[in-house]
Amino acid sequence: MRGYLLKRIPSALLVLLLASFLIFAILRLVPGDAAEVLAGPDAGPESVAAIRGQLGLDEPLLAQYASWIGDLVRGDLGPSYAIGGQVADLIGDGLGATAELTLGALFFTVTLGLLFGVLGAASRRRPVRVVVHALTTGALAVPPFVTGVLLVLVFAVGLSVLPSGGRVGLLEAPDLELQYLLLPSLCLALPSAAVLGRYLKDSLERAFAEDYIRTATAAGVPRRRLLWRHALPNALPPVVTLLGMQTGQLLGGAVLVEAIFAWPGLGQLAEQALNRRDYPVVQDLLLLLVAVFVLVQLLTDVVYAALDPRIRWE
Amino acid sequence: MPSSSALPLDPLTRRTALRAAGAGALLLGTGGGLAGCRSAVNAEEGSAGPKRGGTLTIAINQDFTPALLFTQTGQSLQNRLIYNTLIRYDDDLEPQPELATSWEYAPDGKSITLKLRDDVTYHDGRKFTADDVVFAVENLRKPERSAQLAATAKAVTGFEKRGDHELVVKLAHPVSNLFDLFEFMIITDRHSVEDAVKGKKLNGTGPFRFKRWRPGTGLSLARNEKYWKPDRPYLDAVELRVYTQPDALLSALRSGQAQLSYHVSGKHLATLKSSSGFTIKQYDTGNGAVYVGATLDEAPADSKAFRQAIAWAVDRDRVVDQALGGYGLASAAPWPKSSPAYSEANRTHYTHDPGKARELLKSSGVPTSRTLPLGHPTTPLHTAIAEIVQYDLQQIGIKTELQPFDPASFQKKLISGTMPTLWVNGHGFAQVQPATLAVSAYPFNEARNTSHFRSAEYTEAVQDAWRQKDADGAKAHARYQKISDLLLDEAFIIDLAVQDSVQVAAEKLRGPALTKFSYLNLDDAHLV
Amino acid sequence: MTTLSFVRARKPGPGAARNPHQPYRKALATTRGRIGLALALLVTLAGLLAPLLSSHVPTAQSGEALLAPGSPGHLLGTDDLGRDLLSRVLYGIRTDLEVIALAVPLGALLGCAFALLAAVHPVLDTVVQRVFDLVLAFPGLILALAITAVLGPGRLPVVVVIALAEIPVFGRQLRAGILVQREREYAVAARVGGTGRARLLLRHILPNCADPLVVQLAVSLTVAVFLEGAMSFLGVGIRPPEPTLGNMLSQALPYLAQAPHFAAGPLLVVTLLVLGFSLLSEALNREIRR
Repeated sequence: MRGYLLKRIPSALLVLLLASFLIFAILRLVPGDAAEVLAGPDAGPESVAAIRGQLGLDEPLLAQYASWIGDLVRGDLGPSYAIGGQVADLIGDGLGATAELTLGALFFTVTLGLLFGVLGAASRRRPVRVVVHALTTGALAVPPFVTGVLLVLVFAVGLSVLPSGGRVGLLEAPDLELQYLLLPSLCLALPSAAVLGRYLKDSLERAFAEDYIRTATAAGVPRRRLLWRHALPNALPPVVTLLGMQTGQLLGGAVLVEAIFAWPGLGQLAEQALNRRDYPVVQDLLLLLVAVFVLVQLLTDVVYAALDPRIRWE
Repeated sequence: MPSSSALPLDPLTRRTALRAAGAGALLLGTGGGLAGCRSAVNAEEGSAGPKRGGTLTIAINQDFTPALLFTQTGQSLQNRLIYNTLIRYDDDLEPQPELATSWEYAPDGKSITLKLRDDVTYHDGRKFTADDVVFAVENLRKPERSAQLAATAKAVTGFEKRGDHELVVKLAHPVSNLFDLFEFMIITDRHSVEDAVKGKKLNGTGPFRFKRWRPGTGLSLARNEKYWKPDRPYLDAVELRVYTQPDALLSALRSGQAQLSYHVSGKHLATLKSSSGFTIKQYDTGNGAVYVGATLDEAPADSKAFRQAIAWAVDRDRVVDQALGGYGLASAAPWPKSSPAYSEANRTHYTHDPGKARELLKSSGVPTSRTLPLGHPTTPLHTAIAEIVQYDLQQIGIKTELQPFDPASFQKKLISGTMPTLWVNGHGFAQVQPATLAVSAYPFNEARNTSHFRSAEYTEAVQDAWRQKDADGAKAHARYQKISDLLLDEAFIIDLAVQDSVQVAAEKLRGPALTKFSYLNLDDAHLV
Repeated sequence: MTTLSFVRARKPGPGAARNPHQPYRKALATTRGRIGLALALLVTLAGLLAPLLSSHVPTAQSGEALLAPGSPGHLLGTDDLGRDLLSRVLYGIRTDLEVIALAVPLGALLGCAFALLAAVHPVLDTVVQRVFDLVLAFPGLILALAITAVLGPGRLPVVVVIALAEIPVFGRQLRAGILVQREREYAVAARVGGTGRARLLLRHILPNCADPLVVQLAVSLTVAVFLEGAMSFLGVGIRPPEPTLGNMLSQALPYLAQAPHFAAGPLLVVTLLVLGFSLLSEALNREIRR
């Protein structure tokens, strides 16, 4: 086991290093730098040069890369170039907002997914099954940015019962925050919930077709009891795996949803930082995403290896 | 956050709460939990109240950028909320007292004596003195502040303090736009300016105190209890909230979450016009103009006839109707109606005349076989204008290919003078003294501009109009006309339309006003 | 991004011997498959025949009719620059299909190439896996923003982003398939019998891994439609004035209350197209899993 980890960790670190190179290089390929953004639309070269000097953008690239990595290793992310404030604060705030959104979405994914799956497979009324099928199909076929705008139109503009966008912070006003969270997390969750629901429905239908369930049905065990006691527990494990995959997708989809609902999360931060060529923010943010991904991969591999004796610790 | 708990629960609120409960239940069944709580929507609506008090939420389309505090950008609303300026222009560009109570020019126009208010303190309690004005001018001269009026600040050669509240400002030569500088220059606290450009602490003398700035969310400001204007401001707090997507910003207004915005594009205003509850105010002073620029060292834009043909070919009325939603003034010249340089003849110097454009192209013999690049920023407004220009040029046989650039790349090309042959963009600085446009707006700069246009005649006309004491009067107008004539004839910047600043305010909000540099003045604003 | 990207590998069974084309024909004969195929074909045909079906040049502007609802002259109405919406929708389908038809197969081919490379040697396998990790680590839309910033807006970054996003999806799918197939009796027998490694991989193993890839292809097409739309929504999509379903939708969204017909056309088409592709993938998936 230790041998396996020893083998796996260097390659994970290598991925991180490569990613840092890539991120750094790609950013420098983007035309325009933070100094040109901060100089404003009417600036002369002397303004650009002065700001460049202040930010240290006139130093050789290698030195810039070295000082970035050096600061990272020391745990000092430094100030942002163009957005303002400290990089650590910006990323921390964004991470909090995105995590909240993702958790909210996860809640809806699970509840709606279970609802869709159980109703779709086990409801005895055909209309219910048809409606559930139509709902899941719709949730998958309408682009999420359209769903988002429609939700805002109906609940914020039309009925004016929920805010259209923004965030107040969970710690400051939890009751308000929940209302701010409702629409964006629902919008983010719908496609995943549909995927989950469909998958669960398939699994349940297969479970109902199994011999032991048919025997039990013939013996007069109530269908409800069969569903909750037997079919559902058997169908759940693969659903959990699927859920893990969908969580990753939620993070990706957050970029779009954050834009629609003015949710100040990592996606919004990334977009703003890229638009303003705020190198430290983009670099640290992207590297963080890579690190999280690598870590999750590593854990998954280790857990799989621990569970599956066929994978030998070579 | 405004607190709604202090408010009586009127029938409307109760109904809304019921509807909230309904929607909540409908959404997930956790609605029960939410219905008993206060509503985020109500909390925003709850800012209505007596004359004093209340929170105003302003929807902005881009976040406050501390590093750009001294640079004019698309979003400078906070400047007159946290800070003050020395003077305030009225609608006729006549200076009115703010932190400066009176001023007197020396006869040769090479110095001006300012008397300053002596009852002003900064938010942290420090007294405002002449030293703060000296610092403000010197600060703007620094290249890293990248202030558009740096040229005017650099014309200042020295100061003479007479006590704490009188200051003589000495100039290398008279400048006709000195009061533009006084309207533009915010008086910051000289001890904390480095914190200010980092967004940590913004210390000013303005009606609202800086509470905090949350990047991506916006600015929170609270009433300055010791404001030098007695009993002002009326509002308790001001929130600037960022909505980067146009439809999110619209929804924020329509749902009552925000009560004021200057960033609704004209095209989208129709949605708000049809719904009651909003007042829409147009400032015909203009907050900028949109134009087609030409790069003169790229054929065929080096030909004046070609550039003039473009000026005849574009349908400016259509730009106003379709891209600006009717909120603008079709104009061949950069000046808004309020400018001393404005004239109807300048405005209509070029009109939509494809026949004339074709004739001009033909007689000049400029080849039009090549497809020309037409650059534009990816913002929706400029994209729409570029599409209109492309179509109009196609009608006279000029083929173009749109080249969108994200705003940062576009800005790089703009200030480094590497634009494609033609481009579409907007410019500011025509709304104040005309000389400011030519010395402060980069596209029009006589010494160095994006178009690479150089002409001794233009330089002379600009310098002549700038190095004057008098900004108004018949002689000044003649000098401005000279600039207009040259701009219109040379057509290196082909103006399309002057954009109106459009203020969308909830009906219950009274009294917001914009300064000439689009700073927001809420001294007299209140909720009814 | 939304995906249906949960595709099951084929169950080990007597499948190796059966006619490989059987499940496809069967899948297309189901109701699901028929409707899916019909929808996808319908939208595709509309796009292909755009020049014949549309009465206006999609970029022709008019000063008179702005945001006008449907009329005999403009069946779906006009947009904010007075352009005919029907023509723009039809040409928009065309643009979308051109981009997607280039990007998705490109990504699939590259992904498969990587997977085959990985099958050659364990060291290569590690390298390829880390490459996939690297691509997967960046959320697709952040990648899209960065790539567009480098390349400038246009068709190229859209194609690159879609293709790039598909590489690890197909690559991992195929790699998993190869790992399973390699241990099957026929493969072991062939190896023992002296069949060359390359020949075994390409002639025997690859065809047996194809089914899930076909399903994935249908899934990826829907993802690509959404990705194009999302990029347009964030302002980094295909250059104007060329219509695409995504940029029409994003232009129409602020007018949703004022002129709902603007968004209706592109929304309907996107929905039908995605519905078609997902029904097809579902039908295929069901048959293949049997």
